[in-house]
Amino acid sequence: MPPTPPSIERPQRWDAAFDPAMTEADVERLLAIPPFSQMAPENFPKRTPLREILRHDTSIRRYRQGEIITRQGDYGTSAFLILSGTTRVVLKPDLAPALLGRQAPVKKGILRTLAQLWGGRRPPESFQRAQLRPNAGVGARQNENQEVHVFLQDLPRVLDQHRTEEMAAGDFFGEIAALSRMPRTSTIFAASDTAELLEIRWQGLRDLMRADDQLRQHINRIYRERALASYLRATPLFRYLTKEQLDQVAAQIEFATYGDYDWSGEYKRLAQSGGGRPEKEPVIVQEGDYPNGVVLLRAGFARVSQKFGQGERTLNYIGAGQLFGLDEIAHNFQQPQAPVNLQYSLRGIGYTHLLIVPTNVMEQIVLPSLPKSELPPLLSPAAETRPAPPAGPVPSGARDRIGADTLEFLTANRFFNGTATMVIDLDRCTRCDDCVRACAATHDNNPRFLRHGPTSGRLMIANACMHCADPVCMIGCPTGAIHRESFAGQVVINPTTCIGCKACANNCPYDAIRMVDVRDPRGEFMVGEDHKPISKATKCDLCVENHGGPACQRACPHGALERINLNDLTALADWMQR
Amino acid sequence: MSEQLPAPGFDAQSYERPNQGWICGHAGEGKPCRLGPDHRGRCCATAECTPVLEIKPGETKGRWRCTRSGGVCESGPRPDGSCCRPIARCSPVPTLRTRRGQLTRAVVAATVALLLIGLGGSWRGTFINSGALSTPHSSAAFALLHSGTNQANQTCTACHPAGARGPSDLVATAWAATPGPFQLGQLARARPGEPTALDASCQKCHPNHRLHQPSVVRDLSCSFCHAEHRGTGPMAAPTDAHCTICHGDAGVMAAAAIKGASLPPASESALAAGSMPSSALKRTETATDSRTATGFTQVIHSFAQDHPEFRVHTDKLVDPDTLKFNHARHLTSETIPQLPGGRKLDCNSCHQPDVAGSYFRRINFERHCQVCHSLQFDPETPALTLPHGNPALVSAFLHSLPRQYADLAARSGITRTAEQNQFAQEKLQRWQTRVATGETFEQRVFFSTATTGPSVQVGSVIGATHPPYPGCAYCHEVQAGAQGQPEITKPILLDRWLVHGAFNHAKHSGVACLKCHSAATSQATADVILPTKDSCVTCHSPRGGVVDSCATCHGYHRKDTK
Amino acid sequence: MNRFRRQFFLGSFLLLVASVLAIMIHCRWSRQLPHYAYLTGWVLLVAMFLLALYNARKRLPFLPLGHSETWAQLHIYAGFFTVVLFLIHLNFRLPTGWFEGTLAWLYALVTGSGIAGLLLSRVLPRRLATRGGEVIYEKIPALRHALRETAEALALGGETPSPTIAEFYVRQLSGFLAGPRNFWPHLLDSRRPLNALLSELEDLRRFLNESEQATLDKLTQVVRQKDGLDYHHALQTTLKLWLFVHLPLTYSLMICSVLHVVLVFAFAGGAR
Repeated sequence: MPPTPPSIERPQRWDAAFDPAMTEADVERLLAIPPFSQMAPENFPKRTPLREILRHDTSIRRYRQGEIITRQGDYGTSAFLILSGTTRVVLKPDLAPALLGRQAPVKKGILRTLAQLWGGRRPPESFQRAQLRPNAGVGARQNENQEVHVFLQDLPRVLDQHRTEEMAAGDFFGEIAALSRMPRTSTIFAASDTAELLEIRWQGLRDLMRADDQLRQHINRIYRERALASYLRATPLFRYLTKEQLDQVAAQIEFATYGDYDWSGEYKRLAQSGGGRPEKEPVIVQEGDYPNGVVLLRAGFARVSQKFGQGERTLNYIGAGQLFGLDEIAHNFQQPQAPVNLQYSLRGIGYTHLLIVPTNVMEQIVLPSLPKSELPPLLSPAAETRPAPPAGPVPSGARDRIGADTLEFLTANRFFNGTATMVIDLDRCTRCDDCVRACAATHDNNPRFLRHGPTSGRLMIANACMHCADPVCMIGCPTGAIHRESFAGQVVINPTTCIGCKACANNCPYDAIRMVDVRDPRGEFMVGEDHKPISKATKCDLCVENHGGPACQRACPHGALERINLNDLTALADWMQR
Repeated sequence: MSEQLPAPGFDAQSYERPNQGWICGHAGEGKPCRLGPDHRGRCCATAECTPVLEIKPGETKGRWRCTRSGGVCESGPRPDGSCCRPIARCSPVPTLRTRRGQLTRAVVAATVALLLIGLGGSWRGTFINSGALSTPHSSAAFALLHSGTNQANQTCTACHPAGARGPSDLVATAWAATPGPFQLGQLARARPGEPTALDASCQKCHPNHRLHQPSVVRDLSCSFCHAEHRGTGPMAAPTDAHCTICHGDAGVMAAAAIKGASLPPASESALAAGSMPSSALKRTETATDSRTATGFTQVIHSFAQDHPEFRVHTDKLVDPDTLKFNHARHLTSETIPQLPGGRKLDCNSCHQPDVAGSYFRRINFERHCQVCHSLQFDPETPALTLPHGNPALVSAFLHSLPRQYADLAARSGITRTAEQNQFAQEKLQRWQTRVATGETFEQRVFFSTATTGPSVQVGSVIGATHPPYPGCAYCHEVQAGAQGQPEITKPILLDRWLVHGAFNHAKHSGVACLKCHSAATSQATADVILPTKDSCVTCHSPRGGVVDSCATCHGYHRKDTK
Repeated sequence: MNRFRRQFFLGSFLLLVASVLAIMIHCRWSRQLPHYAYLTGWVLLVAMFLLALYNARKRLPFLPLGHSETWAQLHIYAGFFTVVLFLIHLNFRLPTGWFEGTLAWLYALVTGSGIAGLLLSRVLPRRLATRGGEVIYEKIPALRHALRETAEALALGGETPSPTIAEFYVRQLSGFLAGPRNFWPHLLDSRRPLNALLSELEDLRRFLNESEQATLDKLTQVVRQKDGLDYHHALQTTLKLWLFVHLPLTYSLMICSVLHVVLVFAFAGGAR
């Protein structure tokens, strides 16, 4: 008789409840208070009823005065609803990191590090069963019992030195980070001794919003208000404005969203049809048009292009926090007698969320507040040489330094999204595979990337997770197995809770996530009780558990491989000319 | 299809695994099996799935279920629970890196094996020898003496005790060496030339080989100066550096002087053979043989720099010889007649090199003087000469003068005895007209030194080719003995003056004698016409360009093998 | 000045300074220290051991032991420096004995292969990048196999197989596609074998009808791709092969060096 294959339970959507301590009574209590009391249970799909969402995707957390609830800069995946008590949000200035109790993520201990010496004998993709059993040690990241609450040591002094704003029962917060996959914008701590908050992980929030229109509108409204308030405050352009002026600006700002929140599927279709050309992307503003306002990119990326021959050539791309059109408006403000039109086109790439400050607001409020020295230089459109593209992630000259085709290549392939893109210099790479071996040595004898990928000239973007600024892979994960490390923001997958649904692998525009069939330590494939192999999503985790940073980069003997933040092309340009 | 290379086509289910040492044998056909070889390169292929026995509640037998990846197969598991789709087994292919590892292990094994062969067999001596031995130590005689064979490569043990040891003993010996392998401090601090364990081996064959003067403060290792294993031929000569390690060190020299002062003077012996005992020398001053307060030798770094002037000059030594000889006259006087054959008298006429050519044969009357100084005492009969070498013989000769004349007549062809006697009578009558008595005549022959005046009549041959013969005392010191008989002081002929250093005249044949020896101006016998150090330094110095090492003149070892 | 150039100048400068210093120390102390050769020997051995540690670093990528590039740079420049140390240890003479001669040869081969490897590692990747296309070495046999199957299908299969092409395929192409070819021409960057094959393919064209010519075009493309594959195979193999000399002999050298130390101390007994 052949041996029985090793078998474990196949993880399900709600196998790992957000908070196992949630009781029926808790759910009943929640259903009795707004906004849940106003929701119609019949609007919810069969698979995700309201009751189950509350049961599995929420957690009631109690904080004492001074305890931090969300930390600025954290990548959070949940939103909070205040049930009782009050919280305060820190507005200005930001709290010092030490006050926030920042700690490095858990690194491998000495024993585990040294045990990797013998890792070479392990069969591919083998796991200890304990590693995959739900709620075993590694699943504790989301286990509230082991959560450490950090509190502010000297609360009166914080309140004295920082401007804070009170939030009370019924208020929502954290949904910006939860839904936009952006880091938390502010730190919020409990202001009363018995603050009770409902934490809703974003999968639950998403499902709630999908089913309930009122909540969706409500959250959208506060989401925009909050995003705007904190965002404008942090934008250098508005730093000379008084609060009243800022409110005026905020009131007149327009919002626009281009592309799809889940843009990767569309991009994949585009790529398959030989796309990636600027002409096919939605135009935000067109070269030669009258500048209607200054565009502020809130999220996503946009391409700055210019007519060239019959097509358009990419000059630059800009990411979150960058401005477009300021130069032209400032020029027209200073020289109304010789107005210029927009010098470049701006097109959204993938999902782009932006704010537009209308020209009249700029001319009446913003530009007069700026000192003369900070006004952008005048444009001379008649001159033969066009002015440099607006100050984006590509400082003037960077385009020349990395070359037009490389810029085109990076943009066409959306590589600018990566914050830790694996770039290989083929002029230096001896194809020794030391990087892959190093990767395997740090990941239980399993490489987590492919030393192959699209090339442009001497540049190769290897098939490794780029840890995107806008991680589309995280959309659609039913269990939250794929998440951002709270401190440095690496996108990692928790193999315990991964159910092998391939959602992330299908979402990833760069095919950086691979679904592997897992084995037991003897090398036998594991199967679930449905007799199908268990597969798990795997990818580069940037050696988050290892000491010394990404092993691939450290293992390259020729300095040919680097994890580069392509959000900022300066680093790439510097590296290419190293 | 316009790509440079075919599209690679990666499996979305797995990663490329260059970290693995073995590749599935089917990978070359592009169809690697899902399992892959294990880390030792064994094929793990079994079947496409491992069926699971599913027993539903209430059932007893259960059913085998297919667990195939990528969908259940059509025919399903066999009744015995095995998969119906076996995977063809393969021979996994090692990657280049695995091959490299195999090669590395093979090379390591081969190295160890070759080293063991090299160290174990009769090759060993040849194998580990760091360089050819010098001729004496590689001779068959040496081998016979030390190993009983005529194999030179079997003689390591003659000097190295480790030569016959096994591997672990070798390590132990190395560990026990002084200084040991890891005694880095001692290795770095050791003073040059310290005796080593190896010296005992040298001294087995070279016993009593006195190293240097007895005043030496510390012994030097043999190997300090004599480097063995540096090729055949004689061992390389030591360099100045070896000498100046002590002689250039003021502290060592001072210590040596203190030690020397405590030793009996005789122990400080000359190094070269054939020298005169120094007590034979007459001195103008009351110089003694005892060493000075600082010893004989001070700090010396090089010949030109601080080598002292030769003591023959500093002590103002004089030639003790009793012969009267005037170098200047012999070399420069207009009246000196030419030698037979018309040659002019020069240095070489008397100073003839010895066999080795280094020094000169001792001056000898018969060889060097007689050709001119033929002792023709009768100016009218030059053919008759006095005998040389013994005053008694000369007296006897004079007393038998008639007989000598008669013999001369016989030698010159007069055969009849009466005529011979008549010839002798005539000659004697000629003498009686010149000298008063026979007594006077004998006195003059021995003691006269006059070349003019009345006494010139005895022995003077004016205008002859030979020099005049005024009397023995012309050259010799002649004294009247106790019975009034003349006695000639035996001349003292010194062969060498600079007995502590060697000199090779043959090597200096390109230099005129007079360049170094002031013979042309020396009129007195007492003159020691040796060059000064400065004269030597003209050439023997870095500036002169001629070798100036210590070993050029000096030896190190003492020759007296007591 | 960019980083690589700065590294090069800094490394070369330090190497020069260290070498000059070493030679100055040699001139000053070689005659003063009786055990000078022992000391230089230890320094050389330690230096060689440190160089060999680079291999250990490569095996421990998960420890924070610094960047491999730093190690490689140190390995390169320290490697060059050991040449100076080696010459000093030998007192600028050729070794005479068998064993010591072997040791010197091993050192020369290890160093020589290292220098060759350094040059190859700097030259060949550039050529690969210039040629274009990228392939993972272990994938080459599979890709070659696939190309061969494509070519076979084109030349021998199809609805109307062309006898002319089939004959040509069997005569010329099947051998070419069977395995890696033209190693040396590729290494020497010569396109002569490819051009010869391409011109033969072109010569064939005048005997073909239109559909056969289309097949020929596809075959030509396959030949080009196979040539590109061979190019990668030749260069990537060379990039790995030099280590086949460097690494095994390093172990040999280390073993012999240790034996050398034992022999020297056992036999010389402190003598010079």
